[in-house]
Amino acid sequence: MMKRQQPLAVQPSRARQQYHGWHNMIFRALIPLLLFTSQAVSQDLPGRKVPSVTMSPSPLTTVARGKPTDIDLRFHISPGFHVNSNKPNSEFLIPTALKINAPTDIVIGKLTYPPGQEQSFPFAPDEKLSVYSAEFSVGVVVHPLASVAPGKYMLHGELKYQACDNAACYPPKRLPVEFEVKVVKGPPARHHRNPGQSPHIHG
Amino acid sequence: MKRDPFVIIVAAMALTIMLVFGFHMARRKSNPIDKTGAQMKGQPAPEFTLQSLDGKTVHLADFRGKGVLLNFWATWCQPCKIEMPWFVQLQKQYGPQGLQVVGIAMDDASPEDIRKFAQDLGVNYPVLIGKEAIGDAYGGVPFMPETFYIGRDGKVVDKVVGLISRSEIEEDVKKALAQAVQAER
Repeated sequence: MMKRQQPLAVQPSRARQQYHGWHNMIFRALIPLLLFTSQAVSQDLPGRKVPSVTMSPSPLTTVARGKPTDIDLRFHISPGFHVNSNKPNSEFLIPTALKINAPTDIVIGKLTYPPGQEQSFPFAPDEKLSVYSAEFSVGVVVHPLASVAPGKYMLHGELKYQACDNAACYPPKRLPVEFEVKVVKGPPARHHRNPGQSPHIHG
Repeated sequence: MKRDPFVIIVAAMALTIMLVFGFHMARRKSNPIDKTGAQMKGQPAPEFTLQSLDGKTVHLADFRGKGVLLNFWATWCQPCKIEMPWFVQLQKQYGPQGLQVVGIAMDDASPEDIRKFAQDLGVNYPVLIGKEAIGDAYGGVPFMPETFYIGRDGKVVDKVVGLISRSEIEEDVKKALAQAVQAER
């Protein structure tokens, strides 16, 4: 058996060569078709890219019962775009805001947003806008109550943002957000001895 | 007959590509005014009927005989906020020569919020509550601001996507008014 298979692998038969050639031909024919289709479909927004915000995968974080723990969620903004910070300089601008829905007995505490970068843009060089660009993190305090059973919990939420480039703005969007925490039993409570009971004092 | 899985996968891919492309083209054809700015130039501006912030029914045809600056905007659009005071000035400056600025608010904010936004900026021209249909009629309006300059004859003179400088806007207004004057002669 081995003797028969080896020569076949080294010198493919003519039929097999034709077969592979045919495969290559189909692939070569498909590539321009794929390119044409993607180009035609992308013509909806001629000359403009669409902004996108994505979240980095968050590693599993261990949190102790009864103890608040800070977790950083990192977000990336596609190049050439910015989103408003959590505290934009105008009441009408839509702030970037994270909302997390936690399971019962896991309390979501303070959300900490980074300060916005005060930037001016070509369309309004005299005005500073408070924005995030490229990358930003939002801190989430996760506080499992003592009643939570140890184990892994998936937390879901959404990031609302509204992106602009240097000349135009795009409608607000909501990015689904999720991250996992592992709840473990908290450290044992410390027992404080009463110093008054020291034999040295009475001795 | 033994079927080659490679052929089946390739055939499925080709079919999917054709379906996506066909669906896309059908969608484009079903929207007869899905045109770029260049294609809309010289064409009659799509007619519309919308409600203004003060409850009046407004048709584009109401402004026939004037040069119209038709601005699509939203309360969350900072570049829009930058250019709207310019439109206020241009309405004052060129209104007597036949310019009519018309704003179309394209966001989900309440009419009260839109009114407050417009009042804060001292808007002195009609602001209409936009609908998806008018966005579609004017090419989708996927981002803002978008401004159409319409001559006195009701034809599109120019379309500008995104914010440009005040002087460029003024040039477009002058073109629209100049064309309107020519159309009148």
